[in-house]
Amino acid sequence: MNGVISNGFESWLAAPPGQLAGAGLDWLDDQRRVARERVREQGVPTSKTEDWRYTSLKGLLEQNFAQVDEAITALQPDDLEDILIPGLDSHRVVLVNGRYAPELSVLGDLPKGVRLGGLRTLLDADPDALRDRLNRIAGDRQPLFLALNTAGLDDGFVALFDRAAILERPIELIHLSVGMDEPRVAQPRHLVVLGDGAQATLIERYVSLGESLYCTNSVLEIALGRDAVLQHDRIQMESANAFHLTGLYLSQDTNSRYRGVNIGLGARWARTELVTRFRGEQAECDLQGLYLAGDRQLMDYHLDVAHSVPRCTSRENFKGILYGKGRAVFDGLVAVARDAQKSDAAMSNRNLMLSESAEVDTKPQLEINADDVKCSHGTTVGRIEPEMLFYLRSRGISAPLARRMLCLGFAGEIIQTLSAEALREHVSERVGQRLESAPLN
Amino acid sequence: MLAVKGLKANVGGKEILRGLDFSVGPGEVHAIMGPNGSGKSTFAHVLSGREGYEVTAGSATFEGQDLLALEPEERAQLGLFLAFQYPVELPGVNNTYFLKAALNSILKARGQPELDAVSFLRLIKEKLKILHLDDSLLKRAVNAGFSGGEKKRNEIFQMALLEPKLAILDETDSGLDIDALRVVADGVNALRSPERSMIVVTHYQRLLDYIQPDHVHVLSKGRIIRSGGKELALELEEKGYGWIDAEGQAA
Ligand SMILES: Nc1ncnc2c1ncn2[C@@H]1O[C@H](COP(=O)(O)OP(=O)(O)OP(=O)(O)O)[C@@H](O)[C@H]1O
Ligand SMILES: [Mg+2]
Repeated sequence: MNGVISNGFESWLAAPPGQLAGAGLDWLDDQRRVARERVREQGVPTSKTEDWRYTSLKGLLEQNFAQVDEAITALQPDDLEDILIPGLDSHRVVLVNGRYAPELSVLGDLPKGVRLGGLRTLLDADPDALRDRLNRIAGDRQPLFLALNTAGLDDGFVALFDRAAILERPIELIHLSVGMDEPRVAQPRHLVVLGDGAQATLIERYVSLGESLYCTNSVLEIALGRDAVLQHDRIQMESANAFHLTGLYLSQDTNSRYRGVNIGLGARWARTELVTRFRGEQAECDLQGLYLAGDRQLMDYHLDVAHSVPRCTSRENFKGILYGKGRAVFDGLVAVARDAQKSDAAMSNRNLMLSESAEVDTKPQLEINADDVKCSHGTTVGRIEPEMLFYLRSRGISAPLARRMLCLGFAGEIIQTLSAEALREHVSERVGQRLESAPLN
Repeated sequence: MLAVKGLKANVGGKEILRGLDFSVGPGEVHAIMGPNGSGKSTFAHVLSGREGYEVTAGSATFEGQDLLALEPEERAQLGLFLAFQYPVELPGVNNTYFLKAALNSILKARGQPELDAVSFLRLIKEKLKILHLDDSLLKRAVNAGFSGGEKKRNEIFQMALLEPKLAILDETDSGLDIDALRVVADGVNALRSPERSMIVVTHYQRLLDYIQPDHVHVLSKGRIIRSGGKELALELEEKGYGWIDAEGQAA
C-alpha cells in the first residue's frame, strides 16, 4: 500500500484494440475510469494485506498475462461435445475466453420476462436496462481484482428476470477457455437480476480445452428481489495450469433464498470470494463448497457474509480434500450488525488430508454485535479414519478404492446439494478421477 | 482350512495374545467364549489383518497360505470374513455401492466375471429377504444411523452376499432382540455347508442353541485354556469362568 503506479497489472489495464462495450456511455465510462484509479491507488497486496495473508500472488505476477484481444470464432458446436454434461437439459450460454459466443449458445425458448445473453450485446441494444444495475452490488471501494475486472468491463453474461418470472430448466453458463499463443487473461463480467418472486437455477461452469496456461478473473453480481429464489451451482474445472479468480457479490432482499454450491476442482491457483449482503429480513443464504487441492494446487476461499438486518439465515458449509503438496485457505467471516437480532448463522469448514505435506489454513470468524442470535462455527482437519479403511478392506476392497470411496463419501454431502442428478454424477465422476490419479501419500 | 500355532500378539506394547493354538477344518463351527478383555476380538482382528497389532510369534495359515503376510483385502478375497463386534459407520458411503464394490472386488480377484447392475440387484434382494431386512437400508449410508440390531444384521447380510469360506462372527448376538437373534441365527444356519466354516464368538449359550457348534473353546488371558464339545458351553453358562480358571491354576 504505497501508491505504486505500476503495480504489475498494467498489461491487464491496457486498452484493447477497438472499443470497449458501451464506450461513450457516460455512466459506464465513469465506472471504468474510477475502477482504474482504484487499481492504481491500491498497489499489489502483499502477505501483510489481511485478505492475502495466506495466499501469495507471486506465481500470478510472474506471468505476463496479456488481455484477450480477439474473439475466437473458429469453434464449432461439435467442439463442445466433450464438455457438455449428458442428460443436462439447459438454456445454454457459452462464453469463449470471456466473450459471449452466440454461435455456440442455445438459449432455447424463454418465457416472457426473462432475458438471457451476452453483456456486450445487451449494452449495445438496451443500455438502459443495465444502467442502474451493473456494478451496483459490487460497490465503490473495490478490492484489486474486482476493480481490475470493472476497469476492463466489456463482455460477459446477463440474466434479467422480471417480477415473478420463472424459468423451469436451468441456465447453464459455460465459461470455456481456449489456449492462445501467449498467456491471456479474460475478465468476464456477469450480472443476474431476479425481480420480486422470480425463480431460477443457474449452473456456472468453468472449463477449458486443453491444459493451457491462462488466467480468468470473473466477477458476478447477483441481485435477488423480494421472495426470489436462486439455486446457483458453480463448477470450476479450469485447466491444471490456469489461474482462476472469481468474485461473487450477492444482494438479497426480503425473504429471498439463495443457495450456492461451489465446486472447485481445477486450476493450479484458484481464489474465490463470496460476498453476501442482506437487504431485507427473513432472507436465506446457503453457501456450500467442495474443493480438491492436489499436488501444488491452491484453493483459496474468502467468505464475507453480512447480517445487517434482522431475522436472516445463512449457512456456510465448506469441505476440502487435500493431497500431495496441495494447499487450501478458508477465510470465512460472518458479521452480525447490532440491530440484526434473530440472525441465524452456522459456518463449518472440514478438511480431509490425504498426505502429510498438504496444508490448510482455516479461519472462520464470527463478529457478533447483536445479543439475540444463533450463530456457530466449527472447523476440522482430519485424516481418513483407519477403522473405516479397515472395514472396507476387510470386505475385499483394495486400499486405493477404499480411500476413494471414503473421500467420495465425505464429498457426497456437498455434491448432493447440486441441482440436477446429471450434474451430481458428473461432479462425482470427476472427483473420483482426480482421486484416482492422486498419489496415496 | 485355518491353522493357528503359538500365536502371540501385542497391542499398544501390551501382550494380548499369549501363545494361541487353534485350528478349523472345512464345514466346522467353532465357538469361542471367554471373559471380557481376554483377547477374542483381538484374535479376530489379527486374523483379518487389522493394523496396530504386532504379531511377535507363531503362525496362521489359511487355505495353505501364510495369512499373516497378506493384506486385509487379500484375506477377504481368499474367503475370510469378519462380522464386526462394533460395525463401523461410513457416512456418505452408499450401502448398495459399497456392497457392489465389495462383491465385485472379490469376484475380480478370483478371476470371475463381475456382476452387472441388474444381476447384482436381483442377488441383493434375495439376500435381503433371508435376513428380513428392509430395502430402504440399501439407499442409506453404510451403518450410518443404523440401530444396533440393524448393524448386526447388516453384517450377516454382507456375509450372505460375499459367501466366505471362513466367517468369524464377533458377538453378533449382542444387542439383538429375541426375534432378531432368531433371524440372524437362521441366516447363519442357511449359510452352513460342508465347505463353509465359522468361528462364533459369544458370551451366551442362547446363540449356540440356534447355531450348534462342533467345538467350544474358552479363551482366557490370550490363551485357549479349555476346549470341548457343545456341552462345555452349557457348563460355562452354569458355573461361569472362575471354575476353569481355578482348575487351570490347580493343574
Ligand atoms: N488399541 C489398544 N490399545 C491398548 N489395549 C488394547 C487395544 N485394543 C485392545 N486392547 C486391550 O486388549 C485386551 C483384549 O481386548 P479384546 O477386545 O480382544 O477383548 P475381548 O475378549 O474381545 O473382550 P469383550 O468380550 O469385552 O469383547 C483388553 O484388555 C483391551 O483393553
Ligand atoms: Mg470383543
